[in-house]
Amino acid sequence: MTSTFKEDSLHRVKIGAKEVLVTEEEPLLPQLERSGLVLEYQCREGYCSSCALKLVWGKVYYPEEPMAWVQGGHVLSCCAYAKSDIEIASL
Amino acid sequence: MSYSTFNRKQFDSLQEPMFFGENVNVARYDQQKHPIFEKLIEKQLSFFWRPEEVDLSTDRKDYLKLEPHEQHIFLSNLKYQTLLDSVQGRSPNVALLPIVSLPELETWIETWSFSETIHSRSYTHIIRNIVNDPSKVFDDIVVNEEITKRADSVSRYYDELIEKVSLYNTLGLGKHHVPGKGEVDVTLRSLKRTLYLTIASVNVLEAIRFYVSFACSFAFAERTLMEGNAKIIKLIARDEALHLNGTQHMLNLMASGRDDPEMAEVAQECRDDVIRIFVEAAQQERDWASYLFKDGSMIGLNAQILSQYVEYITNIRMQAIGLEPQFATKNNPIPWINAWLVSDNVQVAPQEAEISSYLVGQIDNDLDEADFDDFDL
Repeated sequence: MTSTFKEDSLHRVKIGAKEVLVTEEEPLLPQLERSGLVLEYQCREGYCSSCALKLVWGKVYYPEEPMAWVQGGHVLSCCAYAKSDIEIASL
Repeated sequence: MSYSTFNRKQFDSLQEPMFFGENVNVARYDQQKHPIFEKLIEKQLSFFWRPEEVDLSTDRKDYLKLEPHEQHIFLSNLKYQTLLDSVQGRSPNVALLPIVSLPELETWIETWSFSETIHSRSYTHIIRNIVNDPSKVFDDIVVNEEITKRADSVSRYYDELIEKVSLYNTLGLGKHHVPGKGEVDVTLRSLKRTLYLTIASVNVLEAIRFYVSFACSFAFAERTLMEGNAKIIKLIARDEALHLNGTQHMLNLMASGRDDPEMAEVAQECRDDVIRIFVEAAQQERDWASYLFKDGSMIGLNAQILSQYVEYITNIRMQAIGLEPQFATKNNPIPWINAWLVSDNVQVAPQEAEISSYLVGQIDNDLDEADFDDFDL
């Protein structure tokens, strides 16, 4: 079976006691949900800011700048993509 | 000083603060000091919808089948929402347009307020469709004690700002004698304080106060009841999420000092007052939940669960403007509500909605099993 993902685009996301592997192909929220995590969200389009989480360390990027105001040290899980291994936590 | 509908001074609007700078002259959107307000206008326009697009004939039948205590929950929420949108359909214009200084923000305020008038019109659409005498519902809004208590909280800061700004615009800065009030000292600092508290109280209105009603509407629809209403509330909730983004940006821009350095000091001074506004509103909304469920709960919701949700969402909204959460509730007690708040689940394309005047091969909304009797598979 061939993988559609390059290995260097896979990142580890630490959240609480759990670790989840994510790709750079999709925002964090749907990938974390598929791993069984229940996370807060509302609009899923980057404007309501309800899905904000704490970015403890690591890099994320937004292909499109979200409309919501992102507080320093926060990450909007519905539209942020992992760019490195990261650790996130609820606010 | 005195407001001008077309300021004749020549100035660079990119250098103006959001409020209390020059009156706006040219309505131009090719350049923006704060591009977020232009983006909000575009998004709000792309969200445009009309209540008549949603068919409510099934809701009327559903409403008649509801238990009396459920009818009380349903109508009370509509009354409260009618109050909130009556305020929001006019107040951003009346309070903020005389003091705004950026064209993109001025137009955002108008676009924002206009969308609230659509919400008000949709309450009329809903009420007209489910009860025989809409006046009974509307007339109660100004006499029902539980509603009028809230009217005071949601209009107080707006009214104070409007009063001070009208003194500022007619008499200018300084001490003025106001009949019935005595001496009022109008300073730019006090105007800015009142503005900051007003924006905070509007953020609370749109980001917290609406959500008790939203939760009830969606809880009915989870039981496949009042689904037309839920469809409309979903559109309203989508708009409100944009509006709360607008006030969060105003508050965060003010607190950052990036827009007007003095506003950063004002935000610091007002921090405890803003926390108090959030905590008091949460308490009022918990009281409202108790009033809604005074004669009985509904499946999936009761006063306690709704109160926890109010605390939960208050924490989220406070953190979005850099304040510490004030409540212990860490988990969403009604996570199912979020599926109703997703932006792209909403569709309003007229050819897909049930508008008989638009549809050619129209689908009847009132199909039952007997209609399929002629079908053989």
